[in-house]
Amino acid sequence: MNRSAANSQGQMGSLIISAMFVLAGVVTLYDTLSYTDRDSKVFPQTVAIILIICASVSFIMRFIKPTDEGGFGQGIWWRRVLLISTMVLTCIAMPYVGFLPAGVIAFAGGLIAAMHDRWSLSNILLYWGSGGFIMVLFYTLFKFVLHVPLP
Amino acid sequence: MELDQFLAALTPLNLALALFGVLAGTIVGSIPGLTATMALAVLVPVTFAMEPASALILLGAIYTGAIYGGAYAAILLNTPGTPSAIATTFDGYPMAKRGDGDLAVALACFASVFGGMVGALALLFLAPPLSKVALAFGPIEYFWLSVFGLSLIAALSNGNLMKALAGGAFGMLLSTVGVAEVSADIRLTFGSQTLIGGFGVVVALIGLYCIPVLIDLVAVPGRHLKVEENVKAVRIGDAFGLAIRSKFNLVRSSVIGTLVGILPGAGGSVAGLVAYSEAKRTAKSHQKFGEGEPDGIMATESANSATVGGGFIPTLVLGIPGTPPDAIVLGALLVQGVRTGPAMFTQSGSIVYTFIYGLIIATILMLPAGLLIGRYAYKSIVTIPKAVLVPAVGFMTIIGTFSIRNSVSDVIIMLCLGVFGWVVARFGFAASPIVLGLILGPIAEQGFVQGWIIGDATNNLFGMFFGRPISQGILAFTLITLILPIYLARKKNKAHVELES
Repeated sequence: MNRSAANSQGQMGSLIISAMFVLAGVVTLYDTLSYTDRDSKVFPQTVAIILIICASVSFIMRFIKPTDEGGFGQGIWWRRVLLISTMVLTCIAMPYVGFLPAGVIAFAGGLIAAMHDRWSLSNILLYWGSGGFIMVLFYTLFKFVLHVPLP
Repeated sequence: MELDQFLAALTPLNLALALFGVLAGTIVGSIPGLTATMALAVLVPVTFAMEPASALILLGAIYTGAIYGGAYAAILLNTPGTPSAIATTFDGYPMAKRGDGDLAVALACFASVFGGMVGALALLFLAPPLSKVALAFGPIEYFWLSVFGLSLIAALSNGNLMKALAGGAFGMLLSTVGVAEVSADIRLTFGSQTLIGGFGVVVALIGLYCIPVLIDLVAVPGRHLKVEENVKAVRIGDAFGLAIRSKFNLVRSSVIGTLVGILPGAGGSVAGLVAYSEAKRTAKSHQKFGEGEPDGIMATESANSATVGGGFIPTLVLGIPGTPPDAIVLGALLVQGVRTGPAMFTQSGSIVYTFIYGLIIATILMLPAGLLIGRYAYKSIVTIPKAVLVPAVGFMTIIGTFSIRNSVSDVIIMLCLGVFGWVVARFGFAASPIVLGLILGPIAEQGFVQGWIIGDATNNLFGMFFGRPISQGILAFTLITLILPIYLARKKNKAHVELES
């Protein structure tokens, strides 16, 4: 991605996030209308107003003084998506298949996503072996030593 | 009499318990999601069969080790192992990324031992008079203290103050989700049962700090951290030299940590942030905080470790626990039949002084133990292949987050916050102001609302907020923190312009 494209992406991203923050402030102000106690309202209302002001100024500043060079930058998207989606899948599967089998999904996703070298038999055995050891170790620590009720 | 108690703390059993406690605490603290509170809660029943002083030494050593252990993940993975290590990430991770992770780990160890010693010595010599500080702090003082902590947002803004302030305000807004601090209104849940419990600080820490690192790690090939050709050991000599040069920073941060530790509810995270803010405010022109400045690590680590001794002051003298781990230790004391209160130092002197000496010994033992664990932690993190590191850390984030409230929903919230944090950080909205807002929001709200109610009832709102001496002092420091960098920057610009012309 060239510099101007990155700048353009950064500008647009900043605008969208600033607008989202303004929206969050407005939603909060609306939500506070339903609170019965005045003490519950005063802090979120104050913070929401500060958020709206700061995010609005940031939004306007993007037009007046466009200096950002943000953006998603370089990197392989399918790896990012695979990592997060397998972690989400783990959460969904956890109540049905148990913690350890569900954890294997996240581990496999993370391993495939982070594996930039060529796969070889020794790699597969080493990485899966050490991964299995780490998972069982932590599962044992949390389940049987710390008595966390893992599903 | 005190020599007897010192010798009692040096028995082989007590020494072994102190060493075991420090090692166990350090390992627990280094795992994101596992906190000192959890480690203490698990081990409390074990201590019931012990002598009271030995039990206290074990609990104190675990607490000390856990607070220090949080620095490893903060430095090497940009994820605070415990909330106390939040500010350690600001300079620790940039140092690790440029190849100075070994130095950062050693610095954190030296600073933690120094801070821990200052806190423990304050507990030994100044406990009764210092406990009065806890009573002098009312809701308004807590409010201004949190505002002082929030002023650090300006320091973390990286030239984009409005984005940082918006992030801080958004973090405070997140802190209001769930049941209201003072009244019982349900806020910003939109009918979701999951959100009634609010956003847990540790859940948010893991999500906002750790997940973005993982997302970045998988996207590109190459090593996680820059390393020298031969990784040998942590750089003890360099770290010791830097610590000696920054002795004033260490002393000031440790005193701040002790004083903040005395305040019930404040804790290591607030102490670390306040000490970091002070270190940045008084920094020399060549120091670049937030970009891998060793003084930033030393300020945070000495302050958060000093809160251990500081927190025991109101716990033992007044029976008011400053933090959740203090509350567990207080519970263990009561089970052992020890009554806390001003007379405790005379009535149960043998137990209390043996415990304090044990705490000092545990803090000293943290130096070799911490450097040894630090060496292996650093070597492991830098040499482990990315294809093992990423899924292992991912698995740890899931199991650590789940264990906080035994909730799958928390894991989903953690992932959502992580992706959100990664996206907004790409466009200049850093995670740190959001986390600051999330941590300090409840303290600020409680102090503000309670102060408002009292001021309203006494018809003296202005006096309540601005008329109390401690409030005025904190407010003055806050204003200096906010205004001084702007003044110095303008002065520097003016001098630069004059020089050019």
